[in-house]
Amino acid sequence: MRPFHYSRPSSLAEALIDMRDALAAEPNSSAAFLAGGTTQLDLMKLEVSRPDRLVDLNALRGEAGHIRWDGTSLRLGAFARMAEAADHPDVRARAPMIAQSLSLAASAQLRNMATLGGNVLQRTRCAYFRDTSWSACNKRVPGSGCAALDGVNRAHAVLGTSDHCIATYPGDFAQALLALDASVVIAGPGGGRTIPFARLHRAPGTTPHLETSLRPGEIIAEFIVPAGGWFRRSLYLKVRDRQSYEFAVASAAVALDLEGDTVREARVALGGVATVPWRAREAEALLRGRKLTEEAARAAAQAAFTEAAPHAHNAFKVELGQETLVRALLQLATMETPR
Amino acid sequence: MSLDQVTDGLAISFDLNGERLSLSAPPAERLSEFLRERAGARDVKVGCNAGDCGACTVLVDGLPVCSCTTAAAQVEGRRVETQSGLAKADPDGQALVAAFQRHQAAQCGICTPGMMVSAVALLREVAEPSEAQVQDALGGVLCRCTGYRKIIDAVRDAKGSASVAPGGVGTAMARVDGLPKVTGTEAFGDDVAPAGALTLRVIRSPHHRAAFTFGDIEAWRAANGLDLVLTAADVPGVNRFGVIPGFEDQPVMAEGEAKFRGEAVAAVVGAGERLAMLDLADFPVRWTPLPHALTPEEGLTAALLHEERAGNIMCRGLVQRGDAEAALAGAAHVVEGDFSTGFIEHGYIEPEAGFAERVGDRIEVHCCTQAPYMNRDAVAKVMGLAPEGVRIVPTAVGGGFGSKLDLTTQPFLALAAWKLGRPVRMAFTRTESISSSTKRHPSQVTMRLGVNADGTLAGADFFGTFNTGAYASWGPTVANRVPIHASGPYRFADYRARSVAVHTNCTPSGAFRGFGVPQSAVAQEQLLDMAAEALGLDKLEIRRRNALTNGDETVTGQVFDTGMGILDCLDALKPHWDRAKAEAAAFNAAAIGTKRRGIGVASGWYGCGNTSMSNPSTIRAGITADGRIVLHQGAVDIGQGSNTVISQIFATALGVPVERIERVSPDTDLTPDAGKTSASRQTFITGNAARLCGEALRAQVLRLGNVSEAAVIEITPGAIRLTDGGAERVVPLSGEGYALEATESYDPPTKPLDENGQGDPYAVFGTTAQMAELEVDTALGTVKLLKITAAHDVGKAINPLLVEGQVEGGVAQGIGLALMEEFLPGRTENLHDYLIPTIGDVPPVDTLIVETGDMHGPYGAKGLGEHCLIPTAPAILNAIADACGARVHHLPATPATVRAAILAAAT
Ligand SMILES: Cc1cc2nc3c(=O)[nH]c(=O)nc-3n(C[C@H](O)[C@H](O)[C@H](O)COP(=O)(O)OP(=O)(O)OC[C@H]3O[C@@H](n4cnc5c(N)ncnc54)[C@H](O)[C@@H]3O)c2cc1C
Ligand code: SF4
Ligand code: FES
Ligand code: FES
Repeated sequence: MRPFHYSRPSSLAEALIDMRDALAAEPNSSAAFLAGGTTQLDLMKLEVSRPDRLVDLNALRGEAGHIRWDGTSLRLGAFARMAEAADHPDVRARAPMIAQSLSLAASAQLRNMATLGGNVLQRTRCAYFRDTSWSACNKRVPGSGCAALDGVNRAHAVLGTSDHCIATYPGDFAQALLALDASVVIAGPGGGRTIPFARLHRAPGTTPHLETSLRPGEIIAEFIVPAGGWFRRSLYLKVRDRQSYEFAVASAAVALDLEGDTVREARVALGGVATVPWRAREAEALLRGRKLTEEAARAAAQAAFTEAAPHAHNAFKVELGQETLVRALLQLATMETPR
Repeated sequence: MSLDQVTDGLAISFDLNGERLSLSAPPAERLSEFLRERAGARDVKVGCNAGDCGACTVLVDGLPVCSCTTAAAQVEGRRVETQSGLAKADPDGQALVAAFQRHQAAQCGICTPGMMVSAVALLREVAEPSEAQVQDALGGVLCRCTGYRKIIDAVRDAKGSASVAPGGVGTAMARVDGLPKVTGTEAFGDDVAPAGALTLRVIRSPHHRAAFTFGDIEAWRAANGLDLVLTAADVPGVNRFGVIPGFEDQPVMAEGEAKFRGEAVAAVVGAGERLAMLDLADFPVRWTPLPHALTPEEGLTAALLHEERAGNIMCRGLVQRGDAEAALAGAAHVVEGDFSTGFIEHGYIEPEAGFAERVGDRIEVHCCTQAPYMNRDAVAKVMGLAPEGVRIVPTAVGGGFGSKLDLTTQPFLALAAWKLGRPVRMAFTRTESISSSTKRHPSQVTMRLGVNADGTLAGADFFGTFNTGAYASWGPTVANRVPIHASGPYRFADYRARSVAVHTNCTPSGAFRGFGVPQSAVAQEQLLDMAAEALGLDKLEIRRRNALTNGDETVTGQVFDTGMGILDCLDALKPHWDRAKAEAAAFNAAAIGTKRRGIGVASGWYGCGNTSMSNPSTIRAGITADGRIVLHQGAVDIGQGSNTVISQIFATALGVPVERIERVSPDTDLTPDAGKTSASRQTFITGNAARLCGEALRAQVLRLGNVSEAAVIEITPGAIRLTDGGAERVVPLSGEGYALEATESYDPPTKPLDENGQGDPYAVFGTTAQMAELEVDTALGTVKLLKITAAHDVGKAINPLLVEGQVEGGVAQGIGLALMEEFLPGRTENLHDYLIPTIGDVPPVDTLIVETGDMHGPYGAKGLGEHCLIPTAPAILNAIADACGARVHHLPATPATVRAAILAAAT
């Protein structure tokens, strides 16, 4: 850990000014935000992140730490803690999948500190990225190569990969936001904007170091999750190598709007298997208008993985991902929903 | 107003346990470090600095958070509570202190503050939490010792009031050393350094094998304001250490070539704050990577790691009797298979840590260790000092399981403190601990097992290849032990077992609970099930039919007159087995989904103490004129409970209440050599020494009073009162130091093994049989454990609650071995890529204590530490096969592996 500049703005407006000033002084500034700190401090200890400036956003909880139902949407402030959202009655009752994706993540101790905004921006757990003694990692050092391609890649992605990076997006909550067509409210030194959540993360392509479409200095202020017929019949299913406190090997965020046993609308996002939160639109299309049988679920799961590109140790993720999705769909089909 | 600051000088005001503090620190300093080093709150423990272990949990405004992933600046204006504060002043905290003591929920105690702090937050919300609520609230805190069950019990029973009375042999009393562990005052390796001690960090190889040269080290040192840089050239004595005579082959710092990733090549010493600012990657060393071998196959043909060991074969082991080949040829059925296990990391939550200082012409090292006397002798050789020139003072040990037998921090600390004449401290980072410490040997076993039509065993042939890594460590012990144990506790007339340990460019494999026996049991106990299937015989029954009993010959030709209790263990399981079998069958008959239940059983045995080698323990005790009874107890308690057990034995032998015993803790200056804490030897061997010592002291007292054996002793200030029948005698106590004193040793009787491995390797074997009940999701490959039932013949339970604690902890490690653990060099060097069981992974464990007694053990007691984990993994694997027909040959049985096995079984 080396010396850097630290500030603690007391409002969103002030934070943006801080960042604007920092970028004016040093256009290539490696400035970073500190929210819960559970990713940021970890990466600083590992020397993966070496910010020249740290802008502490903890004072923004008052302004953007809300969790609210506004009649048509769930509004989740970016600085609400994971634990607060997971336990919130509106979240639990209206969109169970969101609550599940949060309470199945990390540990109670971490969920008490970590924020929703920080959660969607957490970095990959690829060991070659996190350990600087490995020289080849395009995400950490653009152009250096990718140690995972020929290395131990059991935990790596099979969807959305490129020749430059196959790192898995590790989070859980993002899949729920993606499946539910959430949007992201962004504040920036150059003004605010709202984008679909689906546009927040970028697949690695040839530039794996660019992970999101956020511009320098921009802050996520809020997630808006619009209600839909599929809102309540939703669930997040997570398969992992131990029973708790572990990232997904494969996960599925699924929401269904059923008419009898026919699918009116389906929303499917996959985790643990892709480089970014992964929306399985092919699977959704196959389900729409069909009866939700095991056969239909299997066909959808297969469609979701047609483009899968496994490596030496992660081929199992294709099947496991499919089984996970099948399980989630069938479980939802028989789920009792309130009202 | 935006607060703007550059670097280190932010004043942070906050409440710590009710006291207002304002301290200056770099704003992004980890809260854990801030609290420990600046606020003096050493009850905040650090296990990983990455959010992975939860040892650092504190309450911030009442909510448990990991203080290692929280920035110091984040507590500005907030309320912080830690275990020492809660234990003192919080009603829930106090209730938990009593409950944790009552239930023995702390073993080594390193995870305990994190557990208890999290539990306080839960109890403030929910007065009577359910098991699931406890699991969720404590889910982020890892424990490697207890298996979590006693912790769950303690939290749920926090409001309970039952009390446990102290007592001698046979009493389930609370730990005599428990209170500091549950009140946050225990001092572990990183808690003892004096203020102002310099900090040491080690420079390690990032390559599996590499030649290296240094640049201008002195210039780099000066430029960075450091006090010292050490390399191999600074070692005044012999730059080699090891644990087995003749196998001292590991340098403190490598010379010219590093043989494994994580090997030390240099060390830097300076003020802690300076080192924190430094990126050690800038250290002037040039690496030239060289071809490396990571597996035994590669090792056999690679360049020699040690010139004198041809083919990189470190050693071999053999036990043979009768004619295995002929017996297999004549067997009704022969089952065979290849089985393998990977490197297993000990995963104690306390990383290696300590400090050293030079005191005159001697060097004193305070550190977490399992083997103070062995450490002393090894450090002396490195330092070029006589053994008396070194003092090792073990701190509390936050888990060991075998890896804290070897030298870790000690030589570095000694070298630096000696040179600088100032105290020097260090704590391994988690990555450093995992990459450089010893591991459980990876194994590749090929075994054939023959059975006769009547269900008796015809013969077996076992071949085990063990990856022993770059240096010997305890590899020879593993190679010797495995062939003796690979039969399991069964009768074999015809048997051959061979083992070979091969060097590779991996971290050295060493001692880990069981010394290779858990690995061989994975093969042997699964094959036994396969044999039962071939015969159509019940799995418990095949074990009963072949179980060794007193009077039988073992595969080394040893005959036990007492203590061979495996049949008793299997019989203890029988009613549970019948119940579980019926339940699983009923569940599966009704199952429509993808879940299937299975049950599995496995046995285990383990010889207590060193294999055919002298390994004495000595205990000293004295009575002072003012009536204090002092026990010099040099057996390091790494959480297993030797402080308590040895005290109970000694008190019983002397005939005084255990609470009267004062302990002098292990210290090579103050306590005689009680040997190392390994090989399940402390209760048996040091326990015997304690019994002899207590009896000797008692004999002196009785002689002085001229009373009979039956006399009751009461030791008071100035006098010992003796009551013998109706008569009373008073023996006055006077003088400086000890008025009465005794020192006694015990060395178990063994006989060397001949060239065929025949002989009496151990005076005592402990035996066990365990049963696993589980559910397999056949579509996803996930395994949900429902229950483990563990029967253990411990001879005599000195402290039944400690027995349960050992069993539950061993079972948890067996679960890890079976289902999730595998260390990959260079890849899983933290507690998140390397998974150990969490509180959610350990099902209820039912411990059935079997007491068949033993002629050698103190009051009939035998060792237990390693036995508990030997049958767990094979029992689980047998249950998986029972549930879904899939045999897992290569561990760990992760969901992907189980699913692959299910698919393979279906085709
Ligand atoms: C041991 C462990 C286990 C874990 N397991 C899981 C798991 O199973 N599932 C899971 O989903 N997650 C898991 N996590 C990840 C954890 O959930 C994230 O670390 C956490 O959510 C990050 O939130 P934070 O507020 O602490 O972010 P920070 O660490 O403060 O910030 C993370 C990043 O986001 C940026 N940032 C933060 N907030 C904003 C904002 N509002 N606008 C713009 N940029 C911002 C920061 O600059 C930083 O780069 C685990 C983490 C650990 C340490
Ligand atoms: S997969 Fe991506 S993050 Fe991992 S080493 Fe390759 S480039 Fe780096
Ligand atoms: S030390 Fe903080 S979680 Fe391990
Ligand atoms: S008692 Fe939990 S880690 Fe030792």
